[in-house]
Amino acid sequence: MSPSETTAPLARSWRDIPQQVKPRAMSNEGRRRLVFSALKTAGALALLGALGWGGVAVAQILREGPKKVPGQAEAAPIKDIVLVTDGALDRNWIVRTLALPKNATLMGLELYQLRSRLLVSGQVRTASLTRNFPATLTVNLSERLPVARLMAQMGGESPHPLLVARDGVVFDGVGYDSAATDALPWLDGVKLARQVGVILPVAGMETVADLLAKARLEAEHLYRTWQVVSLARLESDGEIEVKTQDVTRIVFGTREDFFPQLARLDLLLDTARAQSAAPLREVNLAIGAHVPVAFDGLTAMAPAAGNAERAARPAKSPPAPISINLQLNTKL
Amino acid sequence: MSSRTTFIGAVEIGTSKITVFIGEYTGRELAIIGHGECSSRGIIKGAVVDYKAASECTHSALEHAERDAGERIDCVFLAQTGGHLEGFYNEASVNVKAADNMIDRGDIRTVCDLAKSKELPAGRMVVHHIRRPFRVDGRLVPTSPENLVGQRLEVGYWTVHGLEQRLADNIHVIRGFNLEVRDLVLASLASGHMVTTPEERQHGVLAIDLGAGTTDFALYRDGVAHTTGVVPVGGTHLTNDLSIGLRLTESQAEKLKLRFGRALVQVRDKNEKVWLDGNFAIGDRQFPRLAIEQITATRTWELLEVVKKRLGGVFTPESCAAGVVLTGGTAKLAGIAEAAAKVFGVPARLGETPSWVAENLRDPGSNTALGLLYYGLSAQNERPPPTRRGGGFLSNVKRLFASS
Repeated sequence: MSPSETTAPLARSWRDIPQQVKPRAMSNEGRRRLVFSALKTAGALALLGALGWGGVAVAQILREGPKKVPGQAEAAPIKDIVLVTDGALDRNWIVRTLALPKNATLMGLELYQLRSRLLVSGQVRTASLTRNFPATLTVNLSERLPVARLMAQMGGESPHPLLVARDGVVFDGVGYDSAATDALPWLDGVKLARQVGVILPVAGMETVADLLAKARLEAEHLYRTWQVVSLARLESDGEIEVKTQDVTRIVFGTREDFFPQLARLDLLLDTARAQSAAPLREVNLAIGAHVPVAFDGLTAMAPAAGNAERAARPAKSPPAPISINLQLNTKL
Repeated sequence: MSSRTTFIGAVEIGTSKITVFIGEYTGRELAIIGHGECSSRGIIKGAVVDYKAASECTHSALEHAERDAGERIDCVFLAQTGGHLEGFYNEASVNVKAADNMIDRGDIRTVCDLAKSKELPAGRMVVHHIRRPFRVDGRLVPTSPENLVGQRLEVGYWTVHGLEQRLADNIHVIRGFNLEVRDLVLASLASGHMVTTPEERQHGVLAIDLGAGTTDFALYRDGVAHTTGVVPVGGTHLTNDLSIGLRLTESQAEKLKLRFGRALVQVRDKNEKVWLDGNFAIGDRQFPRLAIEQITATRTWELLEVVKKRLGGVFTPESCAAGVVLTGGTAKLAGIAEAAAKVFGVPARLGETPSWVAENLRDPGSNTALGLLYYGLSAQNERPPPTRRGGGFLSNVKRLFASS
């Protein structure tokens, strides 16, 4: 026999009393609480309903095929291309470079392919393309800054100017103000090479860029006069040659920091300008505290550890090499 | 109970005041975070006689407590008292089924169901089934007898029942605030749980809660409530007696009771008089102190005698080694412990609220509501998961097919 057959039904408990109370038997606070709890329940049900409906809708769309998810966006053609950049490129260049078909839609775009089209230009360092629904393509660019320029003639092409960035990348330079690019020094002694139609980066450009940046920052009056920077002896001797408006050849050494070399040069030029009418032809800052200089109209120079006064004075005859020991005067 | 934080309200709808405490229960710990009180209206001897007035003051106390706590109550433990509550003892025994005489869960369930299955008169409902310890072949088993070996398993239940209408009225007052009544707890069990220690309950102790309209008592033995009862007499009867005997209004009589009332006559000088207000204003009168003490002492003595009589043969000084513990608002009457000691012939003391209760809440009149929280929660935790009697939807459908 089961227990239920052996025992009588249990007596009624207070829990059998229905706890429902009509709202009219409630106090105002009770009714308020009732309304609040009803609203809470309704809100929870609505939320559940919305979630359920959303789930069903998503499931249905996925069942019909994932490609139909963005169907609406795919149907609408791109209305606008927004460019966000930190450089000089403009929207026209983007439109020209991307060369999107007339009725292209956002979902129809191959973003990776478009990105690589943008990166072909050396001026673009990084690029990212974002679909902004319903019909906007946003292009975010980070551009390279030019530090020098060079005149290139590849194969049978006519010579044309190019810009060089700090990392040695050579690019056309679109959208720059001509005054800005004209202020950049020319590069010399560079052998350009092409690989799969793209010019390879210039080797050693970071060192040159350091020199140019230091000169621009610390001795802007000197930098303004720099016309040509030669990298011809950079790899072999570790020297950078600069041709300026006043001096035919200034040699900077890469083994020493550029700042003291620039300071010596500044002092030397000031001293020479003050004590000699003859223009300087050559200054070699690459050999340390002893700076051999040569004046136009004078012949070879001989290193001399004398004072700057004597050294800066041009010799009359016979022409003798002049050397200035700047270490004594400048205490660098 | 779930592990999430629950805000439990303990509500005592008393004859003189309605007390509400709010406990924050985290599943492991209980903290009292709110308290509300309101003078009672529409309640006589623990029974609702004016639903609207009773609802208003109860809801006011609930609102106060919620404001004090800064939280909304989730559910309520409601104290239950009143002369309609009665109790009886019923026991059952079964022969252990297993051949090896090892008691299993089925035996326990059968004997418990048998002991609880006594029918009640019409219109009455069970409030509590209080189980007394099991016995296996006459041997007392304080815990579960499962896996013990014996031939006969016995158990008894003290069943407390009350009038359905009175119980429903109390529940509906709370439901009028749109709160669920999670449990009904006898006021005597709630206060008794609060003022007695487990050791005292093990050795035998009588807890008497002297309220304004009723006096609730619970006799504990072997760690559980053995007998409970309610006497529909309380502190207001003392006031009423003073009012009639000295020809005073109720408020004047209440004032005299609180200031000069005693449970044992102490004054020897018949001519000693006390002032009603003591401010010598117009209407201030003198009353013989002896008369006041005699009236209050007589009624108190009578009340305690009634409790003793209700307990009958169940109460013996030997079975109540820990004595009598008094609590409730009327327990503040001077000399009541001595009176109880004389009536019951055992040591008596005033119940002390445990030290972990905040100082401002330590009042004999608040012990029932405080005990509600603790007794209610411990009962909830001990109770097995609720099962619907008569089965669920599936059982009903099966029954339909069976009958067709």
